[in-house]
Amino acid sequence: MTESGAARLEAPAEAVGTGSADGLAPHRRAGGRHRAPRGLGRAGVRFLLRRPRVLLGLAGWSVLEAAHTFALGFALARALDDGFLAARPAVGLAWLGVAAAGLLAGAWGTARVYRQVAALAEPLRDELVRRVVGRGLYEAVAAAGAPGRAADDAAGTGVVSRLTHQVEIARDSFAGLVMVSRSFLFTLIGAVSGLLALAPVLLLVVVPPLVAGLAVFAGTLRPLARRQRDFLVADEELAREAGTAVRALRDVTACGAQERVRQSVVEKVATERRAADALAYWGVARALALGLGGRLPVVLLLVLTPWLLRQGVSAGALAGALTYLTQALLPALQSLVHGLGGAGARFAVVIGRLRDGAPEPVSDVPRTPVPGPQAAGVPGARAAAASGADRAAPAVELRGVTFAYGPAAEPVLAGLDLTVPAGGRLAVVGPSGAGKSTLALLVAGVLRPSSGEIRLHGRPVLPPLPEGAPQPARRPSPAVEQRVLIPQESYVFTGSVRENLCCLLPDGAAVPGPALLGAAEAVGADALVRRLGGIDGAVDPAALSAGERQQIALARSYLSPAPLVVLDEAGSHLDPAAEEVAERAFIRRGGALMVIAHRISSALRADRVLVLDGGRTCCGTHAELLERSELYRDLAAGWAPPSRV
Amino acid sequence: MTHAPSAPGRGSAPAREHSPVSGPSAGPARRAPADRLLFAAGRPHLWRTLALFATATGAALAALALPAALGRTLDLLLAGAAADGAEAGRWLACCAALTAVSVASDAADTVLTGTLNSRTTAGLRTRLVGHLLAVGPHRSGRFNHGDLVTRCTGNAAHAGTAPGSVASALAALVTPVGALVALAVLDLRLAAVFLAGTPLLVLLLRAFSRTSTDCVTRYQETQAQLAGRLVEALTGARTIAAGGLREREQSRVLEPLARLSAHGHRMWRIQGRATAQAAVLVPLLQVAVVAVGGLLLSRGELSVGGLVAAARYAVLAAGVGTLVGQLNALVRGRTAARRLAEVLEVPAMAAGQRAVPEHSAGGGPGRLELRGVRASYAGEPVLHDVDLVVPGGATVAVVGRSGAGKSLLAAVAGRLAEPDAGQVLLDGTDLAELDPAALRQAVGFAFERPVLFGPTVGEALAAGIPAGREGREARVRAAARAACADGFVRTLPHGYGTPCAQAPLSGGEIQRLGLARALAQEGRVLVLDDATSSLDTVTEWKVTRALADAGGTGGARTRLVVAHRASTAARADLTAWLDGGRIRALAPHRQLWEQPGYRSLFGGGSDDD
Repeated sequence: MTESGAARLEAPAEAVGTGSADGLAPHRRAGGRHRAPRGLGRAGVRFLLRRPRVLLGLAGWSVLEAAHTFALGFALARALDDGFLAARPAVGLAWLGVAAAGLLAGAWGTARVYRQVAALAEPLRDELVRRVVGRGLYEAVAAAGAPGRAADDAAGTGVVSRLTHQVEIARDSFAGLVMVSRSFLFTLIGAVSGLLALAPVLLLVVVPPLVAGLAVFAGTLRPLARRQRDFLVADEELAREAGTAVRALRDVTACGAQERVRQSVVEKVATERRAADALAYWGVARALALGLGGRLPVVLLLVLTPWLLRQGVSAGALAGALTYLTQALLPALQSLVHGLGGAGARFAVVIGRLRDGAPEPVSDVPRTPVPGPQAAGVPGARAAAASGADRAAPAVELRGVTFAYGPAAEPVLAGLDLTVPAGGRLAVVGPSGAGKSTLALLVAGVLRPSSGEIRLHGRPVLPPLPEGAPQPARRPSPAVEQRVLIPQESYVFTGSVRENLCCLLPDGAAVPGPALLGAAEAVGADALVRRLGGIDGAVDPAALSAGERQQIALARSYLSPAPLVVLDEAGSHLDPAAEEVAERAFIRRGGALMVIAHRISSALRADRVLVLDGGRTCCGTHAELLERSELYRDLAAGWAPPSRV
Repeated sequence: MTHAPSAPGRGSAPAREHSPVSGPSAGPARRAPADRLLFAAGRPHLWRTLALFATATGAALAALALPAALGRTLDLLLAGAAADGAEAGRWLACCAALTAVSVASDAADTVLTGTLNSRTTAGLRTRLVGHLLAVGPHRSGRFNHGDLVTRCTGNAAHAGTAPGSVASALAALVTPVGALVALAVLDLRLAAVFLAGTPLLVLLLRAFSRTSTDCVTRYQETQAQLAGRLVEALTGARTIAAGGLREREQSRVLEPLARLSAHGHRMWRIQGRATAQAAVLVPLLQVAVVAVGGLLLSRGELSVGGLVAAARYAVLAAGVGTLVGQLNALVRGRTAARRLAEVLEVPAMAAGQRAVPEHSAGGGPGRLELRGVRASYAGEPVLHDVDLVVPGGATVAVVGRSGAGKSLLAAVAGRLAEPDAGQVLLDGTDLAELDPAALRQAVGFAFERPVLFGPTVGEALAAGIPAGREGREARVRAAARAACADGFVRTLPHGYGTPCAQAPLSGGEIQRLGLARALAQEGRVLVLDDATSSLDTVTEWKVTRALADAGGTGGARTRLVVAHRASTAARADLTAWLDGGRIRALAPHRQLWEQPGYRSLFGGGSDDD
């Protein structure tokens, strides 16, 4: 039993130590080094106390294992004293039969103990998975304003590593910790009561060195855990550095920076080696604790044998005591010493990281009840009926809006003023990096301006940040019913067409199938929906082209009740004719429209055009701008025929 | 560093377009290099290995001797006054000494195993990384990135345990075999009972492994589903943020969790049953041995001490498991070493020592000449006898269908890839004969999907400038301005000091940073492999103009430009039309435009300039 406990604990060691190629979030390590364990301990106790029945079951089944340990030495002693040594071999065999029965009962207990451990480890895993998913989404949403999100798949791999690799390490090492400490405790109980039953005086020989060994072990536990943590961290840093070198190999070679990169990897290799060495040296303390607590009592027992014999201890009792020492206590102590040091530190590191920065599970989007189901399905009518917004007020109004990614950074947008009247249509153009998507995200409330004010239908979106506050890391709280944004990424998820089309509608809004089909048809996605098997057909994002994904996103936004739609290059993967169909659908839909233009044709369909160009930003009709803006002339000229992406 | 060049197709790396042809292939032929590698890795630590061998074997012998000594001592003590007190004392001392040896060798074993593993692993890693950097991107292209990182980390760690496993192998063998022999020496019947019970153990353990794998697979599949849903949701961060869909998405992602939990519970149940089976076997064997021993004892054929020793030997003999574990570790170490050897077998790029000549015979500096160049990727010939001269200071565009070998040509031209045959000459000197550092100073590269490396954005841009060179920062700033990157770099949270991993950058911005990095290198040749594809036409025009002006100190710069846009080709002095791995024509764009086949390269015949 105890041996297999140790085996369980070794497996995750490799998992963390060597397999962490995908690395962990680098910046979350620094923080919780010293405070994590304490908070962790308290959280762990709370976690256990919430499950008294499981703990009770665990203790109950473990008693069977203790009984087995008890039988091991006691039955041997009786078998010798009353049986084999008393020339009654049958009695001896009967006592050994008792030991065997004890073994079987103990094994039954072991099997049952696993179920109880499962009842602890599985809920823990569930909780961790919920946290990882919650935090992954939370961070993604908080960082949604950063440019280049769509192209960035590294965030995904980090989360997947957390979800599969690290959560599993936490689960396994937690189960291992429970098994090992529980096993030690009940083996100890079994052995001590056995010694007590054989001859209480034996405890005098066994207990003091055992306590001394445990004390030594307890003393080294903390430094050992720290070494273990250092090692894990060094290992991850090495994996990250090697990952950079491998991914950037072409670029490193092109820059002739091989030696510099090699140096930095070799440095990490050396750091990892030193951490591994330090861990190995602390193994001496472990061996010492084991020798003191597990091996010394055997010698002590022999030394004191003459005295014990004089105290009336029988030969069988001595043999039984030796059995307890070598067969039960030494292996249990071995598992404890190896298990707690390694698995404990691993658990603390991994779970500390998984818990770190996880959001509290609170609702962040105040969902105001919006148009009931009957209104849904008639987009035009709904578009105007925004909840309580002032109909006469401009759909979008920006006053002196400035946005920068950090206090030290130059602003992307500076002092921008802009008005889109209710029902108006604005096209935004400009060179890449001019802040077009930033503007869309500001209007959508995903980003918060550094200064200035944005009002939609007369209602402010998000007040600017207080001075010096960092831009990300706080939750955007978009007023969902006011406007809908189709970002460049055009998100489609595995599920039915209906689920994909209805996800922007208020909870519980039931839209009849024909209305959904109508929306799809309006934006030109009807052929796609038919191909997928109608409204209840299944959507597999990987099987869709970028253009098809955009069509689904367009139909989804068309259905939304929002009176303002922001399209950020939402038809960039459609051919010009299809893009025009979609844009015209949104014009017919009613409400205001803001289009980040991908083609000049979008600008031609708009009432007004905003040319974003740093200090030379200007706004006007197509004809006005052709006269006034050199950049617009350039763009219009360069754009004319369809461009390929 | 978060931006990996991953998209297939228009690969700007010397192609990831082909599937790996020589992947990991196991077989007898592969064994030798793995063993050679392990031997070479272990040799510097020979003394440590020998010391480990000595302590491990010593510990095993002590463990074997202890039960016998214990039994003997017990017998003598039980005999009490009847026996020789001095002899009992001697045996007692022997027991104490053996225990001390056990503790000491246990400690020494831990330290030696740990330090030997760490040293061997570090040596293997250092060698692997150094070699990989010397091999360069082209030849290592057949291994995928994650796979290479795994070889550097996990595989190296496993391979690093091999010398230690070998050193402890004898000890692992000595214990169970010795214990069985000791049982036999005590009484043959004891050993017989043990041997009879063992097959049962093996059979039951095998029954366990069959049931568990299926259940583990299902668990992992469910886990993968959950991860897949999450990754999918992460790609839609903006939609989710703007639509306030976070909680709805969260419950959608977590939907498989209940199933995962059910599979998990089943796994534990099965494991519990298996563990219980395994846990009961060895003690039952031991009880059987003790029962026989007890019968022998009652007939006076065995002493109490002998019985105690027999009980212990039964447990030690059952430790065949450790031996199997040790062998497993060794096999795993060798398998891992084989994977390292595969990488190390790839030959490094040849390098010379010559400096770049001051001036070439004809024209200005920067004359690049390809003579009969043949090159292949992943064993497939891609370029066939390419002859091309790029006059010093001129711009030559390379156009052609995808798969024509444009990227490989660009890579060969700057020796990111070695040609199979033929020469590439820079101002009359073969690139293969140049000192690598001098070569990299002379030729800069910009890619479609650059990968930035270095702690900060500023450092990443200076990657091509030798360390300690004066005016690094000024060169970086000037290059960034020329590549239209200065503006957005300054909008980053910490400007040029922003850590790369935290810099929010779009594809077009990364491309401009790649350009800036190449410009800062100030080489006489610049190879642009589709390096402006993600820029809008206005920005591209600005960058191209800046490139033309940015002769800087070195005079007009020679440029080789892989292009997909007609406008880019139109701006070049000459266009090399690459078709099926051969140069089909070398002429100004205007001239080639007459040919319909050339026009069709740019799609539909209409210019998108």
